[in-house]
Amino acid sequence: MTITLSRHSFIQSSTLFAGAALAPMWPAWMPRLAFAPEKLTPRGDVLVVVFLRGAADMLNVVVPHGEDAYYTLRPTLGIPRPDDKNIKAEERALDLDGFFGFHPALRLLLPIWQEKQLAIIHACGAPDESRSHFKSMELMERGVDDEKGPASGWIGRHLATLNTGNRSPLRAVGMGTLPQRSLSGSVPVSALRSIADFHLGGDARAVAQMRSVLDTIYAADTLGQETLGIMDILQKLDPSTNPQPPKIQYPDSEFGLALKQTAMLIKAEVGLEVSAIDLGGWDTHFAQGGSTGLMSNLLADLAAGLAAFHADIAGHLDHITVVTMSEFGRRAAENGSLGTDHGHGSMMMVLGGHVQGGRVHGNWPGLREGQLIGPGDLAVTTDYRDVLGEICLKRLNNPALGEIFPGHQPVARGVVT
Amino acid sequence: MSLNRRDFLKLTGLVASSAALASCSPSIFQRVAGASPLSAWTPLPGADFLALGRLTFGPRPEERAYFVQHGLQAWVEEQLAYEAIDDFFCDLRLKPFDTLRMRAHELADLSDKIFDDLDRQTVPNELRHATLLRQVYSRRQLFEVMTEFWSDHFNIATDKGNCFYLKTVDDREVIRKHALGSFRDLLWASAHSPAMLVYLDNQVNVKGAPNENYARELMELHSLGVHGGYSQQDVMELARALTGWTVKEHFWTGDFSFDDGQHDTGEKYVLGMRIPANGQAEAESVVEALAQHPSTAQFIAAKLARRFLADPSPAEIVRRAADAFTRTHGDIRAVLRVVLLDGLPLAQPRYKRPVHFVVSALRMLGADTDAGPAVQNYLMRMGQLAFNWPTPDGYPDRDAAWQGNLMPRWQFAFALVRGELENTNLDLPGLRDISGAHDLPGVISALASLLLGAPLPPTQRDEWIASVRAAGADEDETLAVLTGGILASPAFQWR
Repeated sequence: MTITLSRHSFIQSSTLFAGAALAPMWPAWMPRLAFAPEKLTPRGDVLVVVFLRGAADMLNVVVPHGEDAYYTLRPTLGIPRPDDKNIKAEERALDLDGFFGFHPALRLLLPIWQEKQLAIIHACGAPDESRSHFKSMELMERGVDDEKGPASGWIGRHLATLNTGNRSPLRAVGMGTLPQRSLSGSVPVSALRSIADFHLGGDARAVAQMRSVLDTIYAADTLGQETLGIMDILQKLDPSTNPQPPKIQYPDSEFGLALKQTAMLIKAEVGLEVSAIDLGGWDTHFAQGGSTGLMSNLLADLAAGLAAFHADIAGHLDHITVVTMSEFGRRAAENGSLGTDHGHGSMMMVLGGHVQGGRVHGNWPGLREGQLIGPGDLAVTTDYRDVLGEICLKRLNNPALGEIFPGHQPVARGVVT
Repeated sequence: MSLNRRDFLKLTGLVASSAALASCSPSIFQRVAGASPLSAWTPLPGADFLALGRLTFGPRPEERAYFVQHGLQAWVEEQLAYEAIDDFFCDLRLKPFDTLRMRAHELADLSDKIFDDLDRQTVPNELRHATLLRQVYSRRQLFEVMTEFWSDHFNIATDKGNCFYLKTVDDREVIRKHALGSFRDLLWASAHSPAMLVYLDNQVNVKGAPNENYARELMELHSLGVHGGYSQQDVMELARALTGWTVKEHFWTGDFSFDDGQHDTGEKYVLGMRIPANGQAEAESVVEALAQHPSTAQFIAAKLARRFLADPSPAEIVRRAADAFTRTHGDIRAVLRVVLLDGLPLAQPRYKRPVHFVVSALRMLGADTDAGPAVQNYLMRMGQLAFNWPTPDGYPDRDAAWQGNLMPRWQFAFALVRGELENTNLDLPGLRDISGAHDLPGVISALASLLLGAPLPPTQRDEWIASVRAAGADEDETLAVLTGGILASPAFQWR
């Protein structure tokens, strides 16, 4: 049999469709096994990319508590050592490996780390040293070294170079109101803010009229066709008719909703390959807080969302890779307004069923004088494209790294298997 | 992704030739006497329709007529001299919004509920409300278009700290005051704007350990551009010069203040200039230099040309606009004359951002709206609620950024024609009558001419009508759902 969607996902989809109030029909966009076109690649994992916008202060996310310089540089913002008996236990870093520790607001990620389904790559990032959010985000989402590179996004090129035979309009979605730059390319991608809102309002008669005019007007428009196709699929997924297991508690936030909807799409087997999610608010120049406060609240949202997602898709984890990233890190020393300014080296997390987890990957460049770069920033020892490239190759079945990351030859760092 | 003009027409199936326009019955465009708020519309050459889509948030029928009568140059000159345009009816609608006229400390007092939590909603919601009313109703359309442009350029999100009430002052005293004035004055006013200082954390920028946030964006986003030739060292030195620029917390709360005690009195070097110790005047001298800098001229010219003309912006127009900027020391009107008068013939279709999509639908169809929560909620779902973009770069101006979110646009289009938007009303029977057409196909053609600039080819029009009829629609429903369909169509997403 020529496999176009994996046997696994096919079987799952049949049982799932049979169980729920979903149409058991073979959706039109799904490739027919009997007419499988040539040169198809089996689908790999569902990729979930979480972009922390605003340059998250990764030194306070995964804390190098084994480094004295950290506490010298951050006398008020530093997260206390895991064994600092002068501080309340819930305000100390959560030790990971004797040198690094989680910010205490990431407590919910600890079990996933211990199950070795969560890996950390510290001191990673891009070569660009502009310290500009907008230039850095753009280059990173395009996956290029400088503005001369292709205008499309790295995920867009991944989708364009991997023919899985999957014609689902939900092959890739950007959660939110604007599709992420990383998704742009020849494969149309829609933004999806709320599954519950994704329908035409009115009675059946009115809906039929609106639908027929849209079908006519958008007959030759790919993006419009895609939106109509999504509407058809999502209609069957209305969350009110498809309740979540009550034990899984997503945070009541846009981020929580984005992950919850991603899980819904994964479980419903509607052809999702990539979900791009943003979590903003990390540009903490002022009053970012330490163990508690502004940034701690953001981290709590991040951890609660990822932990709920992890529990929600437990049965699918073998086929899911989640990666978190941010445009750069922040200055090693705190500034005079209880915040941190733009820095360089960042941190990525990778979560999934085939992750070399429970480990902090990458070379730690250190925080002492002579080890910091520029105005006093963490150096980059792992290019972010090494991590993404390895995921593309090993988890997404896409070897076209030269097209996805032109001008960079990704080096596999052993983050996934 | 940019479309060339031919693709654009192909996409919509329109034939925007003047021949097709000339074939319309003249009676369609005859003005109807009487007190109707609607007025008939005249045919428009494609280039004029496109130009009006840049000079306004979507032309009202009477604006089309006026443009045809007076031509581009006279239109632009009249709009640039916006103070002379009578805006009585728009002002009348703004009357209830007292907060628009209040000073910062009054807004602070108003928001302070003493026994309850701070009211962080009333003031910014009035500003959003008023902004949309002005976009819909003001006759000073170019001024409103430029106000939106500068609101993006000097973006402030109202949910940051006290920006929820300070932005109202910034909108009045910075953006609207200088939108068609001198860029130097605009940059200067923004630098002294408490809302900006709070938004970009300069109110806590103190000697000894400066906060670089505002210093960086002042150069990267507000003046030179990221390739404008500044370094990390320049950012750090300018941040030092800006230490002590803050906002009053007592007595005249929310006014600008320079705190001598928090100012770094050492010498600074910014962009190769030595800045001797001189208190508040140090950073002011840098603001002056930035306003005059060739990189700033280039950056602003390119950004304006992109917004008004095409993305990427036409290089020759940018060069000439930048020259005008330099020659006139940043006279915004002089730059706009080049961009509009020389540039508009080169304009390419641009994808409507949500505000333009919504406002053009309301204006072109002569809808009556309170610009309240029903419409604002759609703008939020489309992704462009005013003063709500979190990062200082402002709402994106790339077509591709907006193209993947059709669903709320479709929903808005149909909600509008079906009368489902609270306090927003459309007079479809009135439009039908005023169109002068005698049958449904004629009315649909006339509406397409109004909304898309050209009538639909008859075969396409008949196909649309047939599809709706097949779904069981009667005559009135067909008119409504097809009007919605035109608003929802690919063609109406472009300006």
